[in-house]
Amino acid sequence: MGMPGRAGDHRWSQRHLSHYIEGELRPRARRRLERHARGCVDCGRGIRAMRALVYAVQGEGGPTGVRAPATIFDRVRLAGGGSPESQHA
Amino acid sequence: MPPPGRRRAPDPADGGAAETEASLLARAQAGDVGAFELLSGAYADRLFMLLLRLLGDRAEAEDVAQEVMLRAWRGITRFRGQSSYFTWLYRIAVNEANRTLERRARHPAGVSIGARELDLPTSPAEDPSRQAENRELRRALGEALAGLPPALRTAIVLRDVEGLSTQEAAEIAGIGQAAFKSRLHQARLRVRAVIGDEALVASGG
Repeated sequence: MGMPGRAGDHRWSQRHLSHYIEGELRPRARRRLERHARGCVDCGRGIRAMRALVYAVQGEGGPTGVRAPATIFDRVRLAGGGSPESQHA
Repeated sequence: MPPPGRRRAPDPADGGAAETEASLLARAQAGDVGAFELLSGAYADRLFMLLLRLLGDRAEAEDVAQEVMLRAWRGITRFRGQSSYFTWLYRIAVNEANRTLERRARHPAGVSIGARELDLPTSPAEDPSRQAENRELRRALGEALAGLPPALRTAIVLRDVEGLSTQEAAEIAGIGQAAFKSRLHQARLRVRAVIGDEALVASGG
């Protein structure tokens, strides 16, 4: 099946989907990708997939309720209360 | 990036007159361990969560978190405020996590940033079938991230999960912004390839 646009547009578009959704492509490059994606089922779906991926990964962030362990400063306390310089190896 | 003094470290013990980060930093640099704990403690939960996400193992994250604080304490006199204290502390954490990952590289273990490993609650507002789909996506996401090389995992965790700016994330990773973006894009492409477009599009993100 032929791909829309110039030869190489498909592979190039697939490599730049993340750049595209970040808005990092220059206008000419953006137009190249959009022109290709309009006629390419794989790349049109790739754009939606990349957006969904970033959305899903971002969903892993935010408040989690996970607390740092109470022991987090234990080694600092064990290292002593002197000046930090005195602790240098 | 805000200078260190802009951010106030919470200090419930001082009756609401919280010290600025700058004054805590000055005291810590003069050798006041209590000030160091207040200063760094403001970021402890977030830092621990980052380590959990990068390492995927609670016991290991606890061990590395202690090491991060020790290294920060030992090095605090060398902190000159060229970045925010948060960025500096996070950079130590990322370096320590990467050292740990390199040490265990010959013995790969599962790393997950999802609900299964961390026992994070799902949203009660979601209907059961949607919750099941999301659980499946999060499981797949956790496995895909676990399969990434540490440098790529760090990039996607800092930028997409933690939501840091590219500038701040690149600074924490210790590389330039262009190199950081390249790692981020590579990481996303790899994760996308593992999960598959159909599953991602079906997730409706």
